[in-house]
Amino acid sequence: MTFAYLDAGSGSLILQAVLGGIAGIVVAFKAWKARMVGRRAVAAVEDTDSITDETALTSEP
Amino acid sequence: MVSADPGSFRDPASRVVHDGARVLRLLDEQGLVAWLALKATPFFEKAVADGRLIQTEETSDFPVDAAGVLEHPRLPVITYPYEWTFSMLKDAALLQLDLLADALAEGITIKDATPFNIQFVSGRPIFIDLGSFEAYRSGEPWIGYQQFTRQFLFPLMLRAWVGLPFQPWLRGDMEGPTAGEMKLLLSKGQKLRPSALMHVSLQARMEDRMSGTAVREDLKDAGFNADLILANVRKLRRLVESLEWDHEVEGWSDYESCSHVGRDRYVKSEFLEGVLDRTQPGLVADLGANDGHFSDIAAESGALAVAIDGDEPVLDDLYQRSRGKNISIIVSDLANPTPSQGWAGQERPGLFERVKPDVVIAYGVIHHLIYTASIPPRAVMEWLRSFDCVVAVEFVAPEDEMVAKLTANKLARELHHGRTEKEFRGIIADMFDVRSERTLESGTRILFELEPRQNY
Repeated sequence: MTFAYLDAGSGSLILQAVLGGIAGIVVAFKAWKARMVGRRAVAAVEDTDSITDETALTSEP
Repeated sequence: MVSADPGSFRDPASRVVHDGARVLRLLDEQGLVAWLALKATPFFEKAVADGRLIQTEETSDFPVDAAGVLEHPRLPVITYPYEWTFSMLKDAALLQLDLLADALAEGITIKDATPFNIQFVSGRPIFIDLGSFEAYRSGEPWIGYQQFTRQFLFPLMLRAWVGLPFQPWLRGDMEGPTAGEMKLLLSKGQKLRPSALMHVSLQARMEDRMSGTAVREDLKDAGFNADLILANVRKLRRLVESLEWDHEVEGWSDYESCSHVGRDRYVKSEFLEGVLDRTQPGLVADLGANDGHFSDIAAESGALAVAIDGDEPVLDDLYQRSRGKNISIIVSDLANPTPSQGWAGQERPGLFERVKPDVVIAYGVIHHLIYTASIPPRAVMEWLRSFDCVVAVEFVAPEDEMVAKLTANKLARELHHGRTEKEFRGIIADMFDVRSERTLESGTRILFELEPRQNY
């Protein structure tokens, strides 16, 4: 990742793709979708972790 | 003696220091890589040649631990965006966008977008922060977009659309209004304009919802590219171009129609020419410069004239005709000049820490400080004495028609001591020697050429 001393603002970065025109809207959508899928994947991992933890707790002798 | 520039510390890759009169830029390894990439482009050479980018030379005769050292010419006066007129900020915004577009076409980007990186020389904006350029990495968005909207676009919209001056806002908050704040300032109709929907409303919403999430890798993976930045920059340029400020009927715009102005102008010009001839100044501060008539005379004498006035409309007109002239323009209320501010209260020095004149012109101004701003005459003259240079001042007696207007609703006991000619002469005798003087035709105004007394 490029070094940046300036906090660019996450929303403003995604917005730039939208401002780039139709091609940009496609890019923004893909980036948004990747974020959503990523979030679901993270949530799924967290769920699995908690189930494992619970199992670990209940399987205590 | 080497001293760090108080406004150059945010970017560790590139820092400005002063070595006596020299202005040097110290680069770390990353800064050096960025400089070498910039230097290799035809864009750099062309932008310097056409005066859009500050001259830059590599230097090795500076003993310091840095990966690279660059040297720039010293600019005689530094001004800040909260001291610029509308047209100045607009021209600076266009320069910022044009440089980014030209640089991107050659694989270079500008990593920020702040008007503090731009100065004015001979009525033209010039980009001074070489450290802002670096090689564009494929898939990266324009990091400076949000900053561009807050520090250029929104202040211009504030004036052009809402009718509010942007200087008090930028002086109070140097980061500029956020998209969310702009939303509160725009009317319903203004918010529906396509450019406001995108840059203001949508940006505010997206900033709200996505604050703190890392999106740069997502954008890269989704296929973001420089063409999208260029498309955005082209649209922003059209938007900035379209912002206009109609300022015909404000403040002092009818100054020339005041009866005493035309009548006295010739004599005041002649008196000033004498002062300039005797003093041979390098820098002249024209306090209350108004339409810049006397700044013009100072510039023509070979000095740099710094035209300072609180009235933006007249200075905006002066800016429009200052191209090619040795005149700097500063919007600032003399009764409340720009203070030092920013980090540690020193990042952006105050107005008179940056403007060090050899001659001060104070024509048609001290009676406004005395009668309108209610500043005691002695305090006004002590302030002029603090410049420690020759002062050409116009004294206006209480009997003058303008003073009568300024004091129409004031009682004599509400006015300060030191207003009469006799009292005024007593005040200046403590601080200055009178080198020459001339009474104007009205008999109520006297021009003084004052030389500071060293033992004061």
